[in-house]
Amino acid sequence: MATLKLELLNLIYGGKGTPSMHAVRDVDLVVGDGEFCVFLGPSGCGKTSTLRMIAGLETPTSGVVRLDGRVINDLYPGERDIAMVFQSYALYPHLTVRGHLELPLRAHRVPKEERERRVTEIADLLQIADLLEARPRQLSGGQAQRTAIGRALIRQPKLFLLDEPLTNLDARLRLETRAALKRLQNELGITTIYVTHDQEEALSLADTIVVMNDGRVQQVATSRELYGHPSNRFVAGFIGTPPMNFLAATVQPSANGHIDENPLALVTAAFSLPLSATSIEASGVSGRSRLVPGAALTLGVRPEDLIVGPPDGVDGPRGRVVVVEPQGDERIISVALDGGDSAETVWKVRAPKHGPSAKVAIGDVVGLAVRPRGLRLFDKETEERVL
Amino acid sequence: MNAQPRSGRFSQALWYLPVLLITAFFTFPLIWIVMTALKPPIDVFAYPPKFVFSPTLDNYRRVLQSDYMGSLGNSVIIALVSAAFSVVLGTLTAYGFSRYPLRGKDNLFFWILSLRMLPVIAVIVPYFLLFQRVGLTDTVVAMMLVYSVFNISFTVWLLKGFFDEVPREMEEAAKMDGYGPWGVFTRVALPLVIPGIATAMIFNVVQSINEFLLAFVLTQRKATTAPIALLNFLTPMGLDWGGISAAASMLVAPVIILAIIVRKHLIRGMSFGQLE
Repeated sequence: MATLKLELLNLIYGGKGTPSMHAVRDVDLVVGDGEFCVFLGPSGCGKTSTLRMIAGLETPTSGVVRLDGRVINDLYPGERDIAMVFQSYALYPHLTVRGHLELPLRAHRVPKEERERRVTEIADLLQIADLLEARPRQLSGGQAQRTAIGRALIRQPKLFLLDEPLTNLDARLRLETRAALKRLQNELGITTIYVTHDQEEALSLADTIVVMNDGRVQQVATSRELYGHPSNRFVAGFIGTPPMNFLAATVQPSANGHIDENPLALVTAAFSLPLSATSIEASGVSGRSRLVPGAALTLGVRPEDLIVGPPDGVDGPRGRVVVVEPQGDERIISVALDGGDSAETVWKVRAPKHGPSAKVAIGDVVGLAVRPRGLRLFDKETEERVL
Repeated sequence: MNAQPRSGRFSQALWYLPVLLITAFFTFPLIWIVMTALKPPIDVFAYPPKFVFSPTLDNYRRVLQSDYMGSLGNSVIIALVSAAFSVVLGTLTAYGFSRYPLRGKDNLFFWILSLRMLPVIAVIVPYFLLFQRVGLTDTVVAMMLVYSVFNISFTVWLLKGFFDEVPREMEEAAKMDGYGPWGVFTRVALPLVIPGIATAMIFNVVQSINEFLLAFVLTQRKATTAPIALLNFLTPMGLDWGGISAAASMLVAPVIILAIIVRKHLIRGMSFGQLE
């Protein structure tokens, strides 16, 4: 168990003739003792590279990796007391399950009796006790994965790294393994870093999620915070299915606003929306000073923060239903907004299967109301959230 | 598999036909040699060739009592030592080429391979002069060295392909487990390329056992190898077909025995590093 600290970590691949790639940029991060931390981001965002630097498989171009306060930059991977599960599991065809579990213990010259005791212990924990003499080709995907986890955990490492460990499993097994992994981490209390591109995995597993894009950390937060208070447009768009609806907007003096309240409105290609003082007050974001006439913004609303209603009498966008996708207990309704003709103006709405929106069909003209506090605004230039 | 429909089994049997034909085609010379070796002199020249005859071991008896056995011993020792030496050195070199950054790596690698492409005739005189100067002419050691030059380059080339196929993650996992470079090599990389090593071993042995030209020039009496000694069956009284066949079949035997020992790995090895 340990605390991991990354200080201004950078990684540049290539150079000297070949085009270089700045894979990881200025990553500053603390992962607390016993924490389950997930690195989340699209492929190529630098999450795996960061993990590999922590493991010692990649040498940082600059920056410091500290484990329990000790700088481990120059330690060989095996000396760092860090274990890792690879996406491919990295099992060897020439070794049995027992052979794999014993491998790290042999490397550290653990005596035979102790080795046998630990193998039995971990095999029981992971329910692979009856597979100890099997070879990788005889194992199912789930069994191979548990073997890889066992091999990593048998050494009782300070830090446990997992690189997309569920990618090669089928959907159902993935759910089961996810739950098992969470329980295991809870019981053992090992500080864990888990890399994935799957937000659902991240949301369900993590104590803390580190969202990365373009080599940079975008936001470090709990899943709830990440969903409710995304720090910028990228995070807002990356978390949530279907993703948040965005539309370019400018702040303009409201034509029909009450002078005494707030004379501002958001104007988009498709609709305009009065900016009420209450909604601005409710958001604790300091960027509200940027809400001045002429400000260029991006407006965002999550599909679940929209309510489908009759076309008249709603203070929001109007449009025509173009697609209805049933999803079990709800429906995803795509609405092409009036006055717009780009992909940006087709908004998705998550609507309950039952209720007033249940009868909406393709071709209907509907109005969309934004739930209170459902509105998000981002600076067009910096993409930081301002509301 | 028993539940296969009849047509399936029939078409499977049909597939065996070409396989059998091809196998027969390639093993025919071998069968012919063994048959000739077992024939009494009168039947060797019989026309049309006799496939039914009363076999005799006279030819083998004659060969066993001749000087040929010493040469066969030379051949086997030279081939095995050279092959083993080449595999040890070649494996390490190939691993280095496959895994470590090295300046001018591509050129160096091509240079090693080009040794194998060298026409033997071009280097025969330099070799002869070289060995004469260091006093190694007509020695087993000289032959081992000469063959190793060819075998090492082939082994490096073959095994680099195998090492390239070993997934990097497999080695990285061993690093995480606490193994240093040597541990990663012996515990992960090496076991995974055993098919390649078996293949290299066989190819090297075959190459050394078959080689004629170098041995013909570089050996005289003591270090004569079997292919050279076969010439002794060319006597003033004519060619001793029975004897030469018996001797030749004995030359093939070590290769076949070795191939049987490593045959489990050979098939995967011959497909050049396809790790399933």
